[in-house]
Amino acid sequence: MLPFAIRRLVLLVPVFLAVSLVIFMIIHLVPGDPLEHVIQVGSSPEQQAQMIARYGLDQPLIAQYWRWLGKVMSGDLGDAIVMRQQVSRLIAENMPHSLALGGSALLFSTIVGIVVGVLAASFRESWFDRAAMGAILLGSTLPSFWLALLMILMFAVQFEWFPVSGARSWDALVLPVLTIGIGGTALIARVTRAAMVETMSRDFVRVLHAKGVPFWRIQFRHVLQHAMMPVMAILGLRIGWILGGAVTVEYVFARPGLGSLLITALGQRDYPLVQGCLLMLAIAVMLGTLIGDLAQAALDPRLREAMATR
Amino acid sequence: MKTSLKTVILATGLSALAAGAAVAQEATFVMTARLVGAPTYNPIKATKLNTATTLIYDRLVVQDADQSFHGQLAASWEASPDGLQWTFKLKPGVKFHNGEPFNARTIEWWVPQFKGTENAFTVDAIERVEVVDDLTVRFHMKHPDPNLLFNLASSFMCVPEPKSYQALGDKFGVTEAVGTGPYKMQQFSVGQQTVLVRNDDYAWASDLSKNQGPAKFKKLTFREIAEESTAYLELKTGGADLLVNVPVDFLPRIQADKAAKLITIPGTEVVYMPINTSVEPFTDIKVREATAFAINQKEIMASLYGGVGAVADTFLISSLKEAQVDPKYKIGFDIERSKRVFEQAGWKLGSDGIRAKDGKRLEVKLWAQNGTEFKRLTEIVQAQLKAVGMRAEITILDSGTINSQYRKKTEHQLAVRSYLWTNADIVDWFFSAKRLGYPNVSMFNDPEAERLNDIAMNKSKTWDERVANFTAYHAYVLSQYPVAPIYQPVQSFAHGRKIVMPETIRGTGLYGPSMLDIAPAN
Repeated sequence: MLPFAIRRLVLLVPVFLAVSLVIFMIIHLVPGDPLEHVIQVGSSPEQQAQMIARYGLDQPLIAQYWRWLGKVMSGDLGDAIVMRQQVSRLIAENMPHSLALGGSALLFSTIVGIVVGVLAASFRESWFDRAAMGAILLGSTLPSFWLALLMILMFAVQFEWFPVSGARSWDALVLPVLTIGIGGTALIARVTRAAMVETMSRDFVRVLHAKGVPFWRIQFRHVLQHAMMPVMAILGLRIGWILGGAVTVEYVFARPGLGSLLITALGQRDYPLVQGCLLMLAIAVMLGTLIGDLAQAALDPRLREAMATR
Repeated sequence: MKTSLKTVILATGLSALAAGAAVAQEATFVMTARLVGAPTYNPIKATKLNTATTLIYDRLVVQDADQSFHGQLAASWEASPDGLQWTFKLKPGVKFHNGEPFNARTIEWWVPQFKGTENAFTVDAIERVEVVDDLTVRFHMKHPDPNLLFNLASSFMCVPEPKSYQALGDKFGVTEAVGTGPYKMQQFSVGQQTVLVRNDDYAWASDLSKNQGPAKFKKLTFREIAEESTAYLELKTGGADLLVNVPVDFLPRIQADKAAKLITIPGTEVVYMPINTSVEPFTDIKVREATAFAINQKEIMASLYGGVGAVADTFLISSLKEAQVDPKYKIGFDIERSKRVFEQAGWKLGSDGIRAKDGKRLEVKLWAQNGTEFKRLTEIVQAQLKAVGMRAEITILDSGTINSQYRKKTEHQLAVRSYLWTNADIVDWFFSAKRLGYPNVSMFNDPEAERLNDIAMNKSKTWDERVANFTAYHAYVLSQYPVAPIYQPVQSFAHGRKIVMPETIRGTGLYGPSMLDIAPAN
């Protein structure tokens, strides 16, 4: 297990370098620049030229990249040009909110998704299966922007159960979590159901039934364990998603977070901040994938052995 | 037993009253759209500030809606006849939130702090600051700058406390913000909210405020909500007491809402259509003239803005004296004139309703930045241009991209844009040949305009002289039709039942001086 983990970690280094280059180039090749948000009406062209030089934006792109990468390697993400604060500080301020929202949504969608997936597979082709899968399909196709407003109108304006927006109390987390969670639930439920159905047709399950093992014990103890393999892969990918996947929801519910910070930074073309946010998200995705792989390996000895000998 | 029950009921009642009173001492204001995202309350280094800034800090002077100036930290001021000295008498007894005194030494320290910042241009004309006595300060100018008072009234010229400013460095304005204003900053999270608590010592308000003492609310929370629907719903559910800026789309809904009250005051924004004078067919002044007179401002105001606001027939907001140009320079809808001038320019109407000249059809590009309001406005403009025989193809670009596209100089022809500003120097900003591409989207490069620009910007010695020079410059620019003015939106605020707004909003918007007059409803 340990050699496998080390091998995967080492492989992340070139991926990280490639990702950093792509991130840097993409944001710099998009039209626009941060100075448009910094330059004041009344400032002279000379003052504007001084500003460009101050932020190093007059340097060749590759020189700017090397300078940024060098700083990143020493743990410095630089200063946001428009926001006027350390990028690391801005990310640190927003990260807990993203983790709380994304983590809660992931937990919600995982629990509900697995339970619904197991039940749907267990009652395959029944009215419950069709209703659950239909409802989930509908939920997953609703645009999150629209769903968020629907949630606010119903549960905040009509019933007054939860606040409309903000992040000032725990109950302000409920509607955003439901909005994101519904979409995630659909994916996990469908994957769980498909994996369960596939596992249920295997010989060892038939043997267990023949031995008279109770149905639900087989479903949860034996079938679900095997069916968790693809679910773990999906969950691994979604760990990265929880940090930046809630952009629209954060915006509608006026919540802080990495997603809304990234949107603001993109709108302002605040290069260091965009780069910092994207890098964090990329790292989260890489680590999420790694955790997913390790979890799969932990669950499946065959996979562990195969990877260790590769 | 009876006695104790009564006591309990009485105590409960008193507690409820006390709780009610405490709630009445607090209010939540919501900022949305363009007011969202100010990263700091450091006025010297910031490039974006929000409304709460003018409650934390005071300025030397403040500007009223009629563009007159009123003392805030300054009791009076005087300019020398040659415009090379400005002497300010400061109000006595002013103290910063941390107890430090405000005096002439503060100003002597404050002005040089702008050097090297994005706001350096505001004090560019000041050579040095002389402390005459504890409450008198004199600015020695490099050259006359009649715009000095306007600059001093800017939010970026709010005066911070020197010792904490130096001690905190880059953290000033983020973790702490110390000024002399009616509120102290208690907490600030970027993009989320700012909590202010009352400065009970405040007694130096400008005469724009009726309330000359401490503020009426003990605590104010300024929330930032970028999504306009959410901001509106917060007001509707009582989560917010005031919407500091109401999006145009929500005006009808708020007008119909019994729980909210809408207040409008003249705006500081102008919506307009720049015409790229450097590309065909707009190199021909007649085509520009015909295009400008094809825009039906009244129709746009009625159909898109519900008749709220004012039409724009010059490039400046109506409250500026420099907007009062000779009526012959004003650009108002005249479809007959538009068609006639097109004909004079040789553009003849074809059978398909589109004009053509020398076999070339009158087809142009019309740009706008994304956003529902701009899209709808651009579609109306497109229809109006078609009515005079011009086919305009709309391209919508995101706000971060569009300015860099303008810098390519020849890619665009027409665009729909707006600006927010309360000074005639915006004519220089958008039409000076020094800034071709962006912000001079019209690519206007005219020797006579440059001559008049130089006089207006650099040769004016007094405010009146500056007004006259800018009026002449503005009139000349209009006479060359590099722009079609469209509309002047109002500034809108909406509030719930918990607060009472002042009868008149003083100042160029809802800023500190008028906010000082906002009171609890009971």
